[in-house]
Amino acid sequence: MRILAWLGGAAALVLATLPAEAGKSTDTLNIALSKAIENYDQYFNTAREGIVFARQVWDTLLDRDPRTGEYKPLLAQSYRWVDPLTLDFTLREGIVFHNGAKFDADDVVYTLNFVSDPANKVLTQANVSWIKSVEKTGPYAVRLHLKAPFPAALEYLAGPLTIYPHEYYAKVGPQGMSRQPIGTGPYKVVAAEPGKSFTLVKNTAYFKDSPKGQPEIGKIVERTIPEVPTQVAELLTGQTDWLWQVPADQTEKLRQMPNLTVKSAETMRIGYIGFDAAGRSGDTPMKNRKVREAIAHAVDRAAMVKNLVRGDSHVVNAACFRTQFGCTEDGVRHYDYDPALAKKLLAEAGYPDGFDTEIYAYRDRQLVEAIIGYLRAVGIRAKLDYLEYAALRDKNWAGTTPLFYMTWGSNSVNDVSAIIGNFFKGSPDDFAHDDELKKWIEAGDTSVDPDIRKTSYKKALQRIADEVYWVPMFSYVANYAYTSDLEFTPDADEVPRFYSAHWK
Amino acid sequence: MLAFTLKRTLVALLVAITVSIISFSLLRLSGDLAQALAGPSATAADVIAVRKAYGLDQPLAVQYLDWAGKALHGDFGDSFFFKEPVWSMIATRLPVTMTLGVCALFFALVVAIPLGVLAALRPNSWIDRLALTLSVFGQALPSFWFALMLMILFGLKLRWLPISGTGSWQHYVMPAIALGYYGMPAFMRLTRAGMMEVLASDYIRTARAKGLRTPTVLFKHALRNAIIPVVAVAAVQFGFFLGGSIVIESVFALHGVGYLGLESISRADFPVVQAIVLILASFYIVLTLVADLLNAVLDPRIRVA
Amino acid sequence: MAIESLAGIDQILEPSAGALLRRRVFGHAGFLIGLVIILAILAVALLAPVLAPYDPYDQNLSQRLINPVWFDNGSWAHPLGTDQLGRDYLSRLIYGARISLLIGTVAATISGLIGTSLGLAAGYFGGRVDMAVTFIITTRLAMPVILVALAVVALAGGSLQVVILVLGLLLWDRFAVVTRSTTMQVRALDYVAAARATGCSTLRIVLAEILPNIMNALIVVVTLEMAQAILLEAALSFLGLGVQPPLPSWGLMVAEGKEYMFFSPWVITIPGVALFTLVLAINLLGDGVRDLTAPENRS
Repeated sequence: MRILAWLGGAAALVLATLPAEAGKSTDTLNIALSKAIENYDQYFNTAREGIVFARQVWDTLLDRDPRTGEYKPLLAQSYRWVDPLTLDFTLREGIVFHNGAKFDADDVVYTLNFVSDPANKVLTQANVSWIKSVEKTGPYAVRLHLKAPFPAALEYLAGPLTIYPHEYYAKVGPQGMSRQPIGTGPYKVVAAEPGKSFTLVKNTAYFKDSPKGQPEIGKIVERTIPEVPTQVAELLTGQTDWLWQVPADQTEKLRQMPNLTVKSAETMRIGYIGFDAAGRSGDTPMKNRKVREAIAHAVDRAAMVKNLVRGDSHVVNAACFRTQFGCTEDGVRHYDYDPALAKKLLAEAGYPDGFDTEIYAYRDRQLVEAIIGYLRAVGIRAKLDYLEYAALRDKNWAGTTPLFYMTWGSNSVNDVSAIIGNFFKGSPDDFAHDDELKKWIEAGDTSVDPDIRKTSYKKALQRIADEVYWVPMFSYVANYAYTSDLEFTPDADEVPRFYSAHWK
Repeated sequence: MLAFTLKRTLVALLVAITVSIISFSLLRLSGDLAQALAGPSATAADVIAVRKAYGLDQPLAVQYLDWAGKALHGDFGDSFFFKEPVWSMIATRLPVTMTLGVCALFFALVVAIPLGVLAALRPNSWIDRLALTLSVFGQALPSFWFALMLMILFGLKLRWLPISGTGSWQHYVMPAIALGYYGMPAFMRLTRAGMMEVLASDYIRTARAKGLRTPTVLFKHALRNAIIPVVAVAAVQFGFFLGGSIVIESVFALHGVGYLGLESISRADFPVVQAIVLILASFYIVLTLVADLLNAVLDPRIRVA
Repeated sequence: MAIESLAGIDQILEPSAGALLRRRVFGHAGFLIGLVIILAILAVALLAPVLAPYDPYDQNLSQRLINPVWFDNGSWAHPLGTDQLGRDYLSRLIYGARISLLIGTVAATISGLIGTSLGLAAGYFGGRVDMAVTFIITTRLAMPVILVALAVVALAGGSLQVVILVLGLLLWDRFAVVTRSTTMQVRALDYVAAARATGCSTLRIVLAEILPNIMNALIVVVTLEMAQAILLEAALSFLGLGVQPPLPSWGLMVAEGKEYMFFSPWVITIPGVALFTLVLAINLLGDGVRDLTAPENRS
């Protein structure tokens, strides 16, 4: 019948005009990210997706080589410590921003003074609060003053502290920067739609002496695809070329596909169960140390590592990642999986029949459900409150979350100050409100003597474990899955360096 | 006719106002707005300053009128999350949802009308039974499950269609099917009933007796009359599609208004949610008004109601 | 009026030529099939503790994603395999029936009470009351239901009680419309006029004369609303803003399983088929009730 013929014709039309596959043939790398970037301005977003964007588009004064850990001068030509409170930089000449403006000392001075001013409300204050001021000492020279000795300064200058063009930023501010990002980086922004997608093209004028190398891939197109199965389907059918944060279950199957490469690497990110020990959210069972200890014994972390996270993941007992300077498990209390002991402790704490609570989380739903299952087995009925990261972060800072599962990648800063300094020094993230603990961390942060730092941090880590302010769970494994046409090396700091990737 | 139109328009306006009041209170229910706007690291003084700046210390009625007035001009304030004007965010995503709605409607009608016509022409045949079975099964299928099944079959196994996104018209095929199938049974039933009624009428029998060829009779007169109620229902169904596209947009990663609504709810970005509820409701109200008027124009008996 | 066409009132009240036809074709087969399936699912739900081989909340991480028995490496220890946290799928399916039926019946009851009261008032009193109720119904129809439900659940927290309450408070429109229509029809009948003439109280008339006569239509609406509530809860849970884990809701099971759907499609197929079967059965039942109690069968 005519209708059938019409349907057949339509089907043929569909098959014939399926959009051409991208990838190597069009020198376009299609990537998918799960979460929307709220603001493309690096200082006003906190999700890792923002870092993915930032590292391609902007440069920092220094660059940390992912293999050797060395700090190489990037926008700077050279640097030196005048004294523990003063850092001098000589800047490279001849670098040009994407909009044609020349890079010089004014840009560094304006950017760093702007972001270190608390009135401008940069989101991660820990990244900038150590800077006192920056002054111009020559057309290509700046002097940075610190508030207190801060050995981790170089880490921050090599990581999150991207440099903006001063005239442009002064004119348009963070909102304008988010709408049309301008930097000096290996990739230029062609389109940046908030929440939907961004498109980058190779910066052919990228300065030749950069330790980041020269970008090879011509175009990067990002799409925000929130659902993991959709992402995986796109990868399998070649409509997307690169995925990360692939769940462990998928990696095994994806590895078997001939046209895909799967790489897994342990990262600095650790997952932890956090408690409102200080009672900011009210009089909850989490104020009771015995309850916190019971929860530490209730969860079988080893089983979760073996069956859920898998790969190179390890159980973590101290509130830090083992390669971070100052991190140690020496003398730090371990809590073994012992549900019977957990129940006993709960009874001693006054909860023989357990209790009801809410547990907040923003990622790894499956891991949190496993935790909920373990808690349930000892009588704690935890209801899941699953939110987007920004919403949970806000609730956290307002102190309304009694029990939460979160993760921290330390902004890839390889120093323990980047983790315990963020959570136990009295900031809005602090749920311990422990003055002694705060003092030890500060001692570690401000001393220049590495031995004093190590001792202070060790005391701090021991205290955190003794009081069970956190139950550190395990280290994360980052799984990357991408087309075999691509040569890409993942790094342990979870920063995808697309500027170092190329087609085979 | 004029009185009828005025009356209907007045009612529609009142409904719109009521919905706006409900949508306005939705936002106020979420807690201290000034605190949310000032941000979590704000001091008490900051919060007071924000409260004054946004007029949140005014009585609620004043706040509502202020908001409503701005909303009429398309100013829905800024998103908490993106710090961009809500209207621009919705405006960039509305075309996707509209396209999806139109495609879904097209799919539903393209399947339903021929089926309904055939079923009316050959009652009790295999076509009739097929139509019935399709409609009964269609109403029982969970849309999200159907969407995933389509994705596996046509996107992954057969590779006929793209999985997600909105690059080309092929991107809308699976989403249109997954959204539109639910509306198909109603259209089919209406078409079938309408056709059968018209075919049995005296007018048609006379025309046939006069010797007019069946296809002419069929398509020129019967179908035109039978379609009338379907058109009106189609307008309303389109309104439903606009409001109910969240699941489909989420599964197929279509960045439309429905998906924005879902994301904004997860992020407690209430200015956006509030605006979307109001805008979708307005579309629906306008569509029903148009459908009502259409019906009244075509069927004079209704105007008396 | 627009409202009637929106509520699909034609499928509820008068069997059209098509329905009469279908009845001849399918006879009472649809009704019987629907009834049998529903009774079976009800039995499974009631006997869940007896039938389920495991506790549906029992997780065992070393037993994850075991294939069902019809695969090579499946076994009868877990006939439908295990899910991503090692919980027995068959047990979760069985307990999931409880949740679906609970949600369907309670939500339909709540919306039934609200909608029927409104419809009765509008249909019986007419005039201003009718205008007010019609206005309320139109307002409710104008709101995008899924979005509002999501927002309210997000605000109030995703517990089973909240979800049922939200669904009950949102899905009463069809009840109201149908009740209003049928009440208006019945009110015009002779014996109702007689009852009013003899001075019976309004409440008595409504309960004794009107309600029994609209009961048939109401039953059909109840089945439709039950089905809609079940599907809507499944959609909410699928989007992550319905009931929360570890509750074994079928919609939640599809949501949790979608990560594995390419490599282990049975994880989402099984609960999807379960939902489909239940909703189909309810719809068949409703269709059957309407057909069997059609006007020409009434004395």
